[in-house]
Amino acid sequence: MDGQDLIRSARFRSEREADWRRLETLVRTAESKGLQRMAFAEARDLAALYRQATTSLAIAREISLDKALLAYLEALTARAYLCVYAPQERLGGLLRRFLTRGAPAAMRRSWIFILLGFLFMTLGALAGYMLYFENNDWFYVFMPSEMADGRGPNATTDSLRESIYGHDSGTSGLGAFAAYLFSHNTRIAIFVFGLGVFACAPAILLTFYNGLLLGAFLALHVDRGLGVDLAGWLSVHGVTELSAVCIACGGGLQLGAAVLFPGDRSRADALRHAGRDAVKLALVAALMLVAAALLESFARQLVQDLTLRFVIGWGVGALWLAWFALGGRKR
Amino acid sequence: MIRRPGSKKRGKGPSSDRLVPPEGVPLTLPVAGIGVRIAAQSIDIVLTFIAAISLLILLSTLALSSPQSMTAIAVLVFFSIGVPYYILAELAWNGQTLGKRLMKIKVVAHDGGSLSAHSLVLRNLMKEAEIFLPGMLLLTLDMTSLLTSVTALVWIAIVFLVPLRDRYRRRLGDLMAGTHVIHLPVPLLLKDLAVENPAAGHGGTNVRFLAHQLDHYGAFELQTLETLLRAHGTPTASQQTDAAIATIVEKIRRKIGYAQPVPPQDRVAFLQAFYNAQREHLEQRRLFGDRRENKHYASTGEDA
Repeated sequence: MDGQDLIRSARFRSEREADWRRLETLVRTAESKGLQRMAFAEARDLAALYRQATTSLAIAREISLDKALLAYLEALTARAYLCVYAPQERLGGLLRRFLTRGAPAAMRRSWIFILLGFLFMTLGALAGYMLYFENNDWFYVFMPSEMADGRGPNATTDSLRESIYGHDSGTSGLGAFAAYLFSHNTRIAIFVFGLGVFACAPAILLTFYNGLLLGAFLALHVDRGLGVDLAGWLSVHGVTELSAVCIACGGGLQLGAAVLFPGDRSRADALRHAGRDAVKLALVAALMLVAAALLESFARQLVQDLTLRFVIGWGVGALWLAWFALGGRKR
Repeated sequence: MIRRPGSKKRGKGPSSDRLVPPEGVPLTLPVAGIGVRIAAQSIDIVLTFIAAISLLILLSTLALSSPQSMTAIAVLVFFSIGVPYYILAELAWNGQTLGKRLMKIKVVAHDGGSLSAHSLVLRNLMKEAEIFLPGMLLLTLDMTSLLTSVTALVWIAIVFLVPLRDRYRRRLGDLMAGTHVIHLPVPLLLKDLAVENPAAGHGGTNVRFLAHQLDHYGAFELQTLETLLRAHGTPTASQQTDAAIATIVEKIRRKIGYAQPVPPQDRVAFLQAFYNAQREHLEQRRLFGDRRENKHYASTGEDA
């Protein structure tokens, strides 16, 4: 058909149909193979044809009344748009950028929320400590029995010492223990973070409760004159683990603050803005918990010397701090 | 409670199915409803669960490792079918998980830009607090303790209310990440009716229309006629379509004052000729800035 006897919009279509068909096949390839594995010429054509198709769509909306054509162009352009604007970054590059620049910068920007996280944890610990000395029975109120593991006000001082220095699990089970701790703690951290959006309160409560546990536990051992030993036992992983909980809480608080005090923005906007840093905080916390789980299951059981325990625990803590303080600064 | 500009603006502003890409030509991408998203989520949960179980069974029958490391592997596998699976799947498949692929829905950036890794991580981190935990609470709902069950129900209500109140059906994670979920459109190019049956001289009927005869209808009627003609072309066309065609031919004839009677075998040819002429006429009027949306175009034009 030479096109002379066609009406204008049909001519418009017949002139461009071959390009649209080609774009359609390219979109299919991109969707099944992925943009990275396409040949250079194909990827270039995809982008060029997509822009042509958007133009065609804009024109067709003005001049054509063919419903089928409009629907086709709408769908085709939309599919091509989704291919052209797909995320292009490699996973490795993402990870490196996060570790070297994104995470430390986010930590520095949201220091006030992290500080608040630590504050709530400390307040909890203080409250737990005082309450224990007021009445020993508070210990049972806070502590779930499976966590206490037989350690309580009724336990003898010797058995407490035994659990601090003893080989309570053989080295063969350590891997399983680490895996369990890692998945359990990471979920808690993601959770503390996610809860922050419900107006801060759940995140604060959870952190405070963690502090209460810590305080009561500490008080029990101080009462028996084992305070320093427990501090050593806890520092191995606790420095990392408790900081991670506080940081996750900080991320949650940031979200909660955006919901409670959005300022000039709408709440959705404020949340989106706060999310940029908060999500990095949550990921940092998850990373620290992996480290904490490894420390807890291997280092704590294998290292029995008190000073060495302090050195490992606080040394690792100092490394984290150095990363947050110095990482990603422009030289 | 979470979104401020909700109820008052409903029904105004651009349609929620519009998405403006950087090229500036708005695209129509229909927002996926809550039902289809719950379906995709359930499919994901079931599939990952089956995959995890079969992997573990395979490993244990191979008996490569001791029972203790088996528990370690099991714990890690069950951890990784949670949040990590969703993040990695959406990163790898451009905003789709297995369930989303099956349901043909997809995550897009709300502002029409490209999806960033940040938003995919964020929207899936929120899954833990928004979907998994309420789900667990619902499964383990304990009627004996009133306080916890009331808290659980309130929480679940909040989680459901946020997307229900939102025009784009965004859950909290979507709001934070700046994303929403759409149905993937299917491009399907049908034949052009005007090309199939060129205007002049078809099957012996040489139907001509005069300009004033084409002034009665607008774009809506034209496209309705198009739908009818396409339905007639398909093999599943029924007796009802034939009856409808007969009525419509008579209606059009009366309306436009077409005196010559149309014999039954020529009815479809008449309609196609009318479609071509009407479309050409309307498209030409359009080029002159006279957009006739439907047959009431004249009266609405006076009102405005």
